[in-house]
Amino acid sequence: MPSRSVASPFRWLLEKEWRELLVSRSWWILLIVMGPLAGISFIGAVRAYAEVSGLNGTSAGVGEALAPLAGVWAPTFSACELVAVFLLPFVAIRMVAGDRQSGALKLELQQNLSPAVRMAAKALVLLGGWVLAMLPPLSALLLWKFYGGTLYPPELATLIVGHILNAGLTIGLAAAMSSFTEHPSTAAILTLTVTVGTWILDIFGAVEGGLWERAAGYIPAALVSQFEHGLWRLDTTLIAVVLIAAGLLLAAIWMRLGIPVRRRAWESAALGVLAAAAIFACAFVTPSWDNSEARANSFPEADERALRHIHAPLQIDVHLAPQDGRRTELERQALSKLRRAMPQVKVRYISSTSIGLFEQTAAGYGEIWYHLGGRRAMSRVTTPEGVLESIYSLANVTPPAESGDEIFRGHPLAAPPKGAGTLFYGVWPGVFLAGAILVRRRFK
Amino acid sequence: MLLEVDGFCKRFGRIPALSGVGFHVETGELLGLIGPNGAGKTTLFECLAGVLPSDSGVIRSGGAVLDARARRNLLFYVPDGIAPWPHQAVGWVLDYVIGFLGGRAELRDELIAQLDLAALLGQTVGTLSKGQRKRVLLAIGLLTAQPVLLIDEPFEGLDLRQAREIAAALRVHAARGRTLFLSIHQIGDAARLCDRFVLLSGGRVCGEGTVPQLAATAKMPEGDLEEVFLALT
Repeated sequence: MPSRSVASPFRWLLEKEWRELLVSRSWWILLIVMGPLAGISFIGAVRAYAEVSGLNGTSAGVGEALAPLAGVWAPTFSACELVAVFLLPFVAIRMVAGDRQSGALKLELQQNLSPAVRMAAKALVLLGGWVLAMLPPLSALLLWKFYGGTLYPPELATLIVGHILNAGLTIGLAAAMSSFTEHPSTAAILTLTVTVGTWILDIFGAVEGGLWERAAGYIPAALVSQFEHGLWRLDTTLIAVVLIAAGLLLAAIWMRLGIPVRRRAWESAALGVLAAAAIFACAFVTPSWDNSEARANSFPEADERALRHIHAPLQIDVHLAPQDGRRTELERQALSKLRRAMPQVKVRYISSTSIGLFEQTAAGYGEIWYHLGGRRAMSRVTTPEGVLESIYSLANVTPPAESGDEIFRGHPLAAPPKGAGTLFYGVWPGVFLAGAILVRRRFK
Repeated sequence: MLLEVDGFCKRFGRIPALSGVGFHVETGELLGLIGPNGAGKTTLFECLAGVLPSDSGVIRSGGAVLDARARRNLLFYVPDGIAPWPHQAVGWVLDYVIGFLGGRAELRDELIAQLDLAALLGQTVGTLSKGQRKRVLLAIGLLTAQPVLLIDEPFEGLDLRQAREIAAALRVHAARGRTLFLSIHQIGDAARLCDRFVLLSGGRVCGEGTVPQLAATAKMPEGDLEEVFLALT
């Protein structure tokens, strides 16, 4: 192992970025806040889970179908989503803009290391810092195990990867904005503006449907939601990676103070075109994996096998408005699962209004038309069972018999969140506060 | 001749900061860039170092035009008024300069002694006084390995005693073959230290050479640098 003085410039850079993160107040605040935030969510979720599992004489029936992923882990790790939106940008902005503010950038730019590599060092350290910040929600896993709960590693890994990707998106965005602007406060405003913009896109997609709805499916909140359900979609993952890389490269472009602004602007535009093309290509990637123990994103395996035997192209015309609750149910409970089982299925949503309220009396509204191999059938049923029945009937396929073994029975756990308050409201903030004081004292 | 600077121009919007700046630099010399505030000294240094884009201009060495990478291998620029890595200790910063910027480790202890930094090694850069910070910046520059060192205002914030000690230290490094190009707005300081001068005013080079050469250009054979400067700018 090389000694410190002869280590590569990149290792020195990593050390410098790590030290900069350690002295960052915003990072320590993020760490201190994470414990109580995760705690509130975890304690609330465990209490609710215990109640539906029969604690204190409540009905245990609901708990039988309750999965820890939806009941405990998605809410507990939602603290990460909150922190990634509202605190992580400030940590990332400080890391990137700090060099420019202090004048260190002018010295570091005179080293021949590529700006992209320099930005990669910052991103690596920030992601490392983010993994440390995830320790409080991760500690909840041990607590849950201590209560007697069960853990299903594939769905937990999916959830954790989703939150790391989400943090990566925040880091990419904040880095780009920090490099692009002269002042950190402007970078913070722009970063939050983009985040709010994605929320507006989400609302717009829900109202307008169509391409807007498709685009809204790739915003960070939608990405996290997929991973929270244990669904790992390759298209979403690739698009997130493209966006993270584009953000970091944009930051690298604007970090080069010695390059004329016009050239940097052209390079940014070219990068934007390349990223858009890559995102467009990624949107056609179909593989996905349902890692949830409850198979929450899939039809029963017998149905999926039956659907795989239908080779004729299937088209579904749905006459429901974007804001119609039936359309939401149809999409979430049936069509999203159908797309995974039959990637070639084409779904068209048809409506002349966004809310559908004044279309209810129109002829054909609410109808769902199935076209398969020259045959067609109409149904108004929006449940997964109804959709499958229509397809089987049209394809002349005998519906598979229901298998009792396949049904997810849940993991009820009637245990109160013992010790969680001490851990999340006392131990974690205390550990991080002590760490902050010790580190700052050492650096002073 | 170590390098030739030719035709450097830079505008900030409609305001010309540099207009066709050109001069040459000899190996191992102490070259002073002198000019009043707003003459374009810092802009020129930043353009030469490649941390600010110039509108035009080239640097030649051995007759060949240097690209950005070759420039970075030849020149290192120490800006004035910065507090780099403000939360890191001075000792670590010197190590970082050696490790990341490819500085010369063998000079570390010598520079600590020359620039009186021993008492500051454990202090963070952000907590230093203006003069202390300037000494750290000089150490950063002198640690680097590039043959030509551009230092913006090396005596800014230093008292008389410190300025003299720093000047002596700079002479030692120049005597070993390091070329030092110093931007100095105090003409008296420049006259005491530098071998040759580039006079900059309003973004233009008004003269280049030793004091006698500049005096001859100004037709003031007995004039000192201040009088010559006033006459030529």
